[in-house]
Amino acid sequence: MTAYLVTILTLVCIAIILGLSLNLQWGLCGMVNFGMAGFFALGAYSAALVALSGAGTLAATVTAATICALASAATALISLRLSDEYLAILTLGFGEVIRLVILSEEWLTGGSLGLPGIPRPFWGLVSEKDYELLFLGLLILVVLGLFIALEILVRSPFGRAIRAVREDDIVVATLGKNVTALRVKAFAVGGAIIGIAGAFHAFYLTYIDPSQFSAIITAYTFMAVIAGGRGSNKGLLLGAAVIMCLIEGSRFLKDVVQVLDATQLAAIRLILIGLGLILFLIYRPQGFAREYSLKGSKLISPRT
Amino acid sequence: MIAQVVLNGFVTGMIIALPAIALTLTYGILKFPNFAIGAMLTVGAYFAYIANAWLHLPLVWAAVLAAVALAITSVGVDRLVFQPLRERTAITLLVASMGVSFVLENVARFVLGNSARSFEVAIARPQRYFELRVNMEQIYTAATALSAMLAIYIILRHTALGRAMRAVSDNPALAAVRGIDRERIARWMWVIAGVLTAIAGVLAGLDRAIDPLLGWNYVVTVFAAAILGGLGNPFGAVLGALTLGVVEETSTLLIPPNYRQVVSFCAIAFLLLARPQGLLGSVRVKR
Repeated sequence: MTAYLVTILTLVCIAIILGLSLNLQWGLCGMVNFGMAGFFALGAYSAALVALSGAGTLAATVTAATICALASAATALISLRLSDEYLAILTLGFGEVIRLVILSEEWLTGGSLGLPGIPRPFWGLVSEKDYELLFLGLLILVVLGLFIALEILVRSPFGRAIRAVREDDIVVATLGKNVTALRVKAFAVGGAIIGIAGAFHAFYLTYIDPSQFSAIITAYTFMAVIAGGRGSNKGLLLGAAVIMCLIEGSRFLKDVVQVLDATQLAAIRLILIGLGLILFLIYRPQGFAREYSLKGSKLISPRT
Repeated sequence: MIAQVVLNGFVTGMIIALPAIALTLTYGILKFPNFAIGAMLTVGAYFAYIANAWLHLPLVWAAVLAAVALAITSVGVDRLVFQPLRERTAITLLVASMGVSFVLENVARFVLGNSARSFEVAIARPQRYFELRVNMEQIYTAATALSAMLAIYIILRHTALGRAMRAVSDNPALAAVRGIDRERIARWMWVIAGVLTAIAGVLAGLDRAIDPLLGWNYVVTVFAAAILGGLGNPFGAVLGALTLGVVEETSTLLIPPNYRQVVSFCAIAFLLLARPQGLLGSVRVKR
């Protein structure tokens, strides 16, 4: 039972990292990323290849983050003169390109067979039995670090500027800010975070193949951000945890409902994710929690 | 060899053109890119498959049934999902359309599973004209797609509905002032989109195996075609689709065929850098 709990928490942590990145890109800066799964795969494969070459897991994580940041920046740059619809299709296309490259370039990625035997960080430090717990501890530290960094970022001038870009980029441009630079930076930082998530996904499973990176990942990350409340990192923690527990918990359904086969159960899960997404958008667009905003009363000092 | 590839490309382009027109009409009238277009195509193909394989209808009648069923489904989805979100931003709508895409695709998967299926049609010998090999399927595809496009042209150019649709697409406020009911136009637009996408689904199902990811494989190309023609411009979408069909097929002479979608992706990436309004689009750049 503890082992199961540790597994779920590990998956929740990876989902939270993904959610944090989408919350920065879409929640705060208003840039839709439909290629989450592709960037995630890019991060996982970069990290796996570097780690397998024996360069160490830290170098692998940094490489994954850098590659994903560069790829994100490039994608954002292509669409810089256009409205958000084009970014959505470009990111979706980018995700498909990554998937096709991974499937086709067998010499590099192992094709549909995947990459086995990916090294793990701090492997051998503790007994094999306790390792999962150590990994979870490490992951929680990473999540905490990213969460605090992003909370600081939201409150920084940069954070305010990107939220202003989301609301009305023309006003921001009028105020003399470089909208293009802000958007590219926000998208690149988000990309780096996806890269980190990908790296930890690869370390955790020690084996990656293309089937792990389907569009489902994009869907549940959006679901987590929408449920948590767009723009709110705290809400996201809750959103990602709830979504992941529901997804993982619904695996037990197959013991209860025996009329349905595995494919049908998987389909029901995805239908529910899709429905949840739509229902939240219609009935509770603000999500569980509200985004951080400076209260007017804090700006005007009360005269008492 | 080249002529053969170009011919195949034209036929592929015709399959892409139909959902590209549907996409561009939705964008023109409701101002959001409908990411569920791929799932709609899949569902259309499955409707036809059910009529064809379970009810043993000939494929033509199965296609008609599928068109009606998908038109009803599209109007229903609009009523339940897109209409309540009408006044929200395009981003909200496109995320919602992604949700719709998941629901539709997985309802199909739930009912018929993951296995690949094909229509019950008699296998015909390919015809030969000079050096060209032409499948009967290709002839049917070209004939069906061309008639559908002609019908759309007539509707858009020569009927009151078409004029109203173009008016709403051009300037919704002005159209409203003139007494055009946007909701009614939107409903008809979904009917047309459903019919076109269902036909494309049947044609795609003739071309390759029917599985839950059938439509997904076309999404990037369909969007690329619509963007190439300038989003919101139906004639541009056809031109974009034919161009991409030929370019994708020709590219298979040089690069592995599984990289077809990459070609489309690169095409839109370069196009967006060089000519953001699309080949035929009017200038509508936000930033």
